[in-house]
Amino acid sequence: MDFPQNMSMEEAFALAEAEAKLKQALTESKARFENAVIPNRLNEDWRFGRPHKHAVALAELLQSDTPSQGEATVQHAGEAAVPVTAEDDDLRQTEMLMPTIGSDALLGMHLKRFGDGYALYIEEDTKEPILLTYKTDTLYTPSTFIMVAPGVKAHVIEQHYGCEKGTIFATRNIQVAEGAELKVELQPYGCARCMSITNIQNMGGKVVHYTHHFACDWAREETVAEIYTPGADNQLFSANKLDLDQVLDQHTRQIHHVGGATSNLLYKNVVDDNATGIFAGNIYVAPGAHNTDAYQSNRNMLLSEKATIHSLPGLEILADKVRCSHGSASAPMDEEQLFYLLSRGIPRDEALALVSHGFLQDVVDKFERS
Amino acid sequence: MDETPFQIDTRGEFSFPENHKFDAGFGLTEATIDYICDAKGEPDWVRQFRKDALKKFNEMPMPTHWAPEGINDLDFDKIRYYLSHGTMPYKDWEEVPDDVKRTFERLGVPEQERAFLAGVDAQYDSETAYNNMREELSKQGVIFVNSTEGLKEYEHIFRPWFGKVIPVTDNKFSALNHAAFSGCSFIYVPTGVKVAQPLQAYFRINSESMGQFERTLIIADEGAELMYMEGCTAPKYDSATLHSGVVELVALKGAKIQYVTVQNWATNVYNLVIQRGLAMEDAEIRWIDCNLGSGLTMKYPAVVLQGRRARGEVVSISLAHSGQLQDTGARMIHAAPETTSNIVAKSISIGEGRASYRGEVNVLKGMKGCKNNTECDALLINANSRTDTYPAISVHGNASAVQHEASVSQVDEEMLFYMQQRGLTRAQAMSLAVNGFINDLVKEFPMEYSVELRRLIDLEMEDSIG
Repeated sequence: MDFPQNMSMEEAFALAEAEAKLKQALTESKARFENAVIPNRLNEDWRFGRPHKHAVALAELLQSDTPSQGEATVQHAGEAAVPVTAEDDDLRQTEMLMPTIGSDALLGMHLKRFGDGYALYIEEDTKEPILLTYKTDTLYTPSTFIMVAPGVKAHVIEQHYGCEKGTIFATRNIQVAEGAELKVELQPYGCARCMSITNIQNMGGKVVHYTHHFACDWAREETVAEIYTPGADNQLFSANKLDLDQVLDQHTRQIHHVGGATSNLLYKNVVDDNATGIFAGNIYVAPGAHNTDAYQSNRNMLLSEKATIHSLPGLEILADKVRCSHGSASAPMDEEQLFYLLSRGIPRDEALALVSHGFLQDVVDKFERS
Repeated sequence: MDETPFQIDTRGEFSFPENHKFDAGFGLTEATIDYICDAKGEPDWVRQFRKDALKKFNEMPMPTHWAPEGINDLDFDKIRYYLSHGTMPYKDWEEVPDDVKRTFERLGVPEQERAFLAGVDAQYDSETAYNNMREELSKQGVIFVNSTEGLKEYEHIFRPWFGKVIPVTDNKFSALNHAAFSGCSFIYVPTGVKVAQPLQAYFRINSESMGQFERTLIIADEGAELMYMEGCTAPKYDSATLHSGVVELVALKGAKIQYVTVQNWATNVYNLVIQRGLAMEDAEIRWIDCNLGSGLTMKYPAVVLQGRRARGEVVSISLAHSGQLQDTGARMIHAAPETTSNIVAKSISIGEGRASYRGEVNVLKGMKGCKNNTECDALLINANSRTDTYPAISVHGNASAVQHEASVSQVDEEMLFYMQQRGLTRAQAMSLAVNGFINDLVKEFPMEYSVELRRLIDLEMEDSIG
């Protein structure tokens, strides 16, 4: 290994140690992909997610000859945006080390198609939100890397357009340095299948993450938000309206490796027609991560007789000085609110839309305020 | 800590010389089943039933890909499936470990009861009291017998429901229990009869006491009411390491059943119990569950709400000390409209103990007006205690409301400071705080249980705060 000339002995040791750790992690992660099986009914992280249907279909598509084809554009990024190429081994390694929630096998397939997407190295405050767009009508497997430098305030909007029959399977790697603030939105539109695996690594900054799915037949979202430094703050939001036969399968992990940090989650779904919403969240507080504040809340509104909600809010707490709570509630629309609108002459359809819109707007407001 | 009256960590390490009248040996085969049937003098259909279950047991995989790893250490061939010691005392009081005796004293368990609990006496000697009670019960038409007698003498009553609430193929441990069950109670309460005093498992005479594969079936006919209690707060010793019980409750129209369990096995015991109740129209089933002992407990009392306006409730307290995993929870299946259910679970983790809540609430398709409320609270006492919550809530349709809340906290330092200022020791302050935490649930237990529970928590706290 070559060390820079002016490096002290300690720094050289630390660097060598870090390199050794990385090497080991990469070897382990290789084994992880080799041993991984396509999610099946025994995979607890796919509970209620009907893996025999959805995971298998996605895996078949990824393993087929269908090329990854799509259009990636970025606006308002200045010099921060760099296209991802198949040759970029550093970024590939970053993706290899990403945690998933029960989908290692699928991430392994994504890695085989690695080489699309954008890396954003944000070193200055963004004046306008950076707009990142992926579009396809077949299959597209982009990777997004967002790195925010210390003290920088940034806003990124990532949109996935599936053009009704397209499949987008994206990985998203977000690293936020000390004192940085990142607002990041994920908005998939009209995909036949849409899956995203997101890893947020918070080193002492603030991340506000918001997802909004619109008209996707099947969507799965895996978000692992990790905190590595005291003082870090992760805020996860999601608001979705599901109808027809749509399935939205959302999985989150709020991981506190160290104490003295905060994470918060609010996911709301309005489920209509024959649609299904699945939320499986977990807060993990590592041993010794004292003075952690972690909250998780899942609220669902059911609008039709055939709508289905599965909610699995979980906690794993291994330290005692913590404040953690979770809540989950699923209920029909409040008749009183509806009655109020009806009595003012608003037609039932519009009243329904208003109340459900208001239910979700609450999340958007919270996202915008934080 | 010389004065320690109660140390869970060492509880499992004692062994007693055993003198069993019947012993089916190790492992479970058809021959074992024949042995059990012969020893108990069971009818042929039961023999066949057990054998069919054995086949299922051998075919089925270990059910639980999510289960704690400890469960894989179970070796089914190293377990004795049937032991019976008749009515003779089979242990010597002298051999009961001192700390257990001290616990009995501190808990205020009556002398005769102590002997029974420590396994010295095969039965709790209160014949007069019991006989009076039995007479009264049989006058009312209540049938209160053991499993063998139940299936032999009252086949027409018990057979139609036997294995119906929890079928053989429910999971591997259910199949195991169906193959090897012995002991515990079969109860039938006739229409409209309200049993005034709670029935207790260890009041019954001339039968096996709590067995390894206990089997309970309680049928409350229309409008009947009863409360059943199982176990006790004092530590319960047993050389057997696997306890896989099946408890079936059937509450017919308008009936009410309350089932109270207090479990305090030694830490070398696996406690895997399947409890499920079937609540018909307007019926109510309540599980009141307290888990203090055992190394690994997996127990999720369930209520299938099968009739309109049926009601289910689970009240659960669990306490996990170092070396213990209390994986407890509740299941509520809303299979009829306008059914309601309530789950309140509180857990306390001490030292390196781990307490988990695992629950399922399912409002099936087409059900209207169902309501569920779930609350789970966890208290962590030491820095390396652990607690988990894994609920699964499924709601179909827009006519039911379900809510779940859980919180995790530790004992408030300020609260302890306040109490210590007023002259309490830290341990006393801690146990007061913990007692306060579970206070509203302890009230649900019958009087003598709740008194014992409080004392037991005092003892636990004295140990853990040093």
